[in-house]
Amino acid sequence: MDLRAVLLRATAARPRVLLLTMPGATAVRLAAERELRRRDLPEARTPAEANVLFVAGAVGPSLEPAVDRLWRDMPAPRVRAHARTADEVAAAVAASRVSLATPLPRPGIEGHGEGTHHHGGGHGDGTGMPAGPAMAERGPDRDGLALDRVHLSFGPFLPDWPAGLTMRLTLQGDVIQRADLAESLWGATAAVSPYWTEPWTRAAAGEEVLLGEAARRRAAAHLDSLGRFLAVAGWPGQATAARRLRDDLVAGAEAAAVRPRAERFARRTGRSRTLYWLTRGMGELSRAEAEAAGVSGPAARADGDVPARYREWLTAVVDDVARLDDRTRLNDRRPLGDRRRLYDHSRPNDQDRRDDRDRRNDRNRRADQDRPDDHSRPSDQRRPDDRSPHDPAAPHGPRGRLDGPRPPSAALAAVLPRLLAGAEVAAARLIVASLDPDPDELAAQLPAAARG
Amino acid sequence: MVDAAPWWSLFVAPALLPALAVFAVAADALLIAREAGRPAGVVTAGRRLLEVPRLLVAQPRRTPSSDTLLRRAGVVTVPVAAVLAVLVVPFGRRTVGDLSVGVVWFNAMEVLTWAGLWMSGWGQNAAFSLIGGYRYLAQGLAYELPLMFALISAATGAQSLRVGGVVAAQHGLWFAVWMPFAFAVFLTSVSAFSFLGPFSYPAGRDIAGGVLGDTSGADRLLLQAGRWLWLAAGAAMAVPLFLGGGAGPGPAPWAWSLLKTLAVLVALVCIQRRFPMVRADRYVEFAWVVLVPLAVLQALVPALVVLNR
Repeated sequence: MDLRAVLLRATAARPRVLLLTMPGATAVRLAAERELRRRDLPEARTPAEANVLFVAGAVGPSLEPAVDRLWRDMPAPRVRAHARTADEVAAAVAASRVSLATPLPRPGIEGHGEGTHHHGGGHGDGTGMPAGPAMAERGPDRDGLALDRVHLSFGPFLPDWPAGLTMRLTLQGDVIQRADLAESLWGATAAVSPYWTEPWTRAAAGEEVLLGEAARRRAAAHLDSLGRFLAVAGWPGQATAARRLRDDLVAGAEAAAVRPRAERFARRTGRSRTLYWLTRGMGELSRAEAEAAGVSGPAARADGDVPARYREWLTAVVDDVARLDDRTRLNDRRPLGDRRRLYDHSRPNDQDRRDDRDRRNDRNRRADQDRPDDHSRPSDQRRPDDRSPHDPAAPHGPRGRLDGPRPPSAALAAVLPRLLAGAEVAAARLIVASLDPDPDELAAQLPAAARG
Repeated sequence: MVDAAPWWSLFVAPALLPALAVFAVAADALLIAREAGRPAGVVTAGRRLLEVPRLLVAQPRRTPSSDTLLRRAGVVTVPVAAVLAVLVVPFGRRTVGDLSVGVVWFNAMEVLTWAGLWMSGWGQNAAFSLIGGYRYLAQGLAYELPLMFALISAATGAQSLRVGGVVAAQHGLWFAVWMPFAFAVFLTSVSAFSFLGPFSYPAGRDIAGGVLGDTSGADRLLLQAGRWLWLAAGAAMAVPLFLGGGAGPGPAPWAWSLLKTLAVLVALVCIQRRFPMVRADRYVEFAWVVLVPLAVLQALVPALVVLNR
């Protein structure tokens, strides 16, 4: 047996996997992350260290060039794997490992080394020129000095980054002078149904959804965001804890089993002085500013900086985990006193459902006609207390209210350029992770024509 | 107390240090497995070492217009400096080279890592690697001064820069006992110069691996090995500086040296996973405003004791 075969077998035993999630493929990503963690297959941060390029979901035309570039940047031995649905994940991972261990002379191994031209920076586009990134030009910095300016793209793919989101940055040193959102790259191939807001979508379509079910999904969504945030903050152990809790919630774990763990996790993360000290004062977003920008949900409720936001998530997770067994119906517009009646008949009759749908259509029509005038909405949708995400009548998704003119993540993404200007690169990643716009929602809001 | 070892020990030291590093990596792998809910056993620890053949078979990879000489020099410097640093560390009663300025030698080798990481970050000609390289310099500015005062505390207590002299001076009472702050600062700095755990800022996940991000194959293996070699080297140095070297009842001095080094390594690996990554811009403020004055005060304690002796 030759040495190369032995080394390849060792590589196949524990390859590093570059996981690329397409907008709309959150369920596939969750399955893939769980599979990789269970099998001790570490995730790669860059194409340079990856052996397997794992694409979760269908690649849209706008993201195809970025995926191809990352593939070109991967050194051999490498394989490509693809899972369109969560069920395909395990098989795709297994197949990629078998293929890695096969010592066939794969095309592209020989003579590839010199040809692998890659700009290592942002994994973005626009800098992949043959001679490397463009030369820096000069511009005045915040202290009035003339300093080099570097243009970098963050996204569409970075570890623990909302997939598809692309920020074009102008840097001086590692201070961001200017940040712009590239909206064209959120791409998805088909109509996307966001995973994290599924219970509310179903309830809006007239299905019977219990508040406990929605709370479970929302808690899992917050834990997903916290996992990303903690990974960016460089606390891998706590990030893993968040992701394990998330996976257990998604898999339908009993409330009694999850609750003590969630509380312990929230206590440990929320009370960490180090984490607070490292993130305080970053990305200040007051409630008034947030609401003016159309942001609702935890980011607005937090009314402050990065620590305020991750603590708001932690509070929300503990609250939601306490409500896993709540059997109130979502979208229940009756006054609180009447709600008890729901326990008598578990399914609403057809008339109720039709009424619900009519009301919704009515509302949509009105919103289309006179969007600026929000006050024309029925009073039960504009409650004075927007703070409680547990009001079953108001569709409080993980990122905010879902009855606005655009998805809550669009508002979160829209405040990014302003918050990032003047921040350092390290702070910028933490700010983005603390707002965590959901790529599914961003892709879902695009009209079909823009998806290409 | 400490004698020069025979010439062949020059080859033993570079073999022993990787063994210690592998031990630290295995301990780290077990902790990660426990966090992820996988069974933590010998297999789990061993699987982590598959990284070595994986990187050996990986195709070398270059970024466009990278500075090969600078990059290679930088990548090689990190592990080589770690091995050179332990040449002055006594193992039991023997040391490869008991230099009269052993403490300074260790410090000088550690500062070589600054150059190594910065060169490899710059040489790759990629934005995130460059930021990673600069981050290490910023981190160095923060940890280096308190570390130097911690080393000075030990040297002052022993009235010698010879590592053997420092060990001899701890006859009866370890420096860790009456210089606890210097000991704590030294252990923190070990994490910092091996850029692991809370001090992995130069290789942070937020900049896609920073100095490591664009390396593959042997380059990456050398840098990664350098980190763990430095952790092992730091743990090995903590023993003669603060824990009385090979002194102890019962077993042979070399066994005590080994035991103490392993204990320090395990403590370092465990503590590292309990904290989030420390950003240098915040840490530098803490280091200069809090740690440096306290470290100066700590250095004053042995100075006064020695003067009054």
